[in-house]
Amino acid sequence: MHIPDGFLAPTITLPAYAISGPLWVWAARKHFGPNQVETLPAVGALTAVAFVLQTIMIPVPGGTSTHLVGAALLALAQGPLQAFVCESLVLLVQALFFGAGGITVLGVNALAMGLLGPLCAWLVFRGLRRAWPRLAAFVAAYLGMQVSTLAVALTLGLQHHLSPAIFPTPLPVMFTAMMVPSLTVTGIVEGLYTMLALRLLERVRGKVAS
Amino acid sequence: MKLGPRRGRLLLAAWFAACFVFSAIADPVWLAALLAAMVLVFWKQASRAARRTAVSAVPLTLFLILASWGWVHVVAQQTPDLRAYAALALRTTLIAFTSFAVLARVDLLAALQPWPTLSRLLVIILGQVHALRLLVTESLLGLRSRLPRKPRALDAIRGAGGITATLLTLATKNARDISDALRSRGF
Repeated sequence: MHIPDGFLAPTITLPAYAISGPLWVWAARKHFGPNQVETLPAVGALTAVAFVLQTIMIPVPGGTSTHLVGAALLALAQGPLQAFVCESLVLLVQALFFGAGGITVLGVNALAMGLLGPLCAWLVFRGLRRAWPRLAAFVAAYLGMQVSTLAVALTLGLQHHLSPAIFPTPLPVMFTAMMVPSLTVTGIVEGLYTMLALRLLERVRGKVAS
Repeated sequence: MKLGPRRGRLLLAAWFAACFVFSAIADPVWLAALLAAMVLVFWKQASRAARRTAVSAVPLTLFLILASWGWVHVVAQQTPDLRAYAALALRTTLIAFTSFAVLARVDLLAALQPWPTLSRLLVIILGQVHALRLLVTESLLGLRSRLPRKPRALDAIRGAGGITATLLTLATKNARDISDALRSRGF
């Protein structure tokens, strides 16, 4: 789902950095100051878990595969701002050491997969958890995944609109190629995984608290 | 040979700026020339960087390009501009190759010394990623050994929740240990 380096021009990547940069600084000051002894290990651990989840590929029709993001679980468990930082770190590690995503597109990927999707999931979960406590996590993660995918597809569509010489594939092609697997496979698996993992986490936390 | 911290930071800054410049170029001839230039500049790292680029960036880019080109050709009945797709492939390859070549020359932890929080986070995450990937591999092997047939997607989903809870508990404990050890060593 990541946009690789070279797919977007600086007309999009630089404004994305301008938006995500202050958010990173704000989150770092809020959660990673010198006195936040407990936050850093927890964020490191959650980031690594999200990273590992993203290596588990799900096959989809057509011979390709897609993957879980895990950011919805982070947002529901830790809040959207921490999910944004964790997902940004996942993307940074993937870009630096594994060649997935990229450094110029880090801001775009972080905003799409780390902020918009998890924020949507967090808001939906807060709205639904009283009415449907069991289904809320599934619906939240499913919708969060669709928002992230839609944001990535629309960004690529915008790049095609701005300069087909940089990204030649038109929006309808990208939209279909990305949204169909997301709506039919990835979103459902992400929803199920988030629902089950969140219930288990609540049980573990309950045991630890008692 | 790795560069010193100061020169490493300068190279990282130059690489960061160069990636943005590369991402703005749409002419395949220019991109090919720049790729050749980068191979010459990073001659010593070239074979390793090329291998890593061929494994990580090239297959995905080629798949995306072929799928998009085929779709536009077959479904939309148009002939897509091959130069634009060639430029896309070259641009992605150029940035990936340069990134791998630069990162092979820079001692990242030494270069990040002025930002100890970032250094500590990188160490924790990389250590955790390695440990958790091993745990996931072992969990999958365990799942396979318990089933008389090859595990299907549903089996993996059923097991995913339990694995995640274990991962989170173990990861938090490990991360705290690593963080304490790093702090005690002055990071």
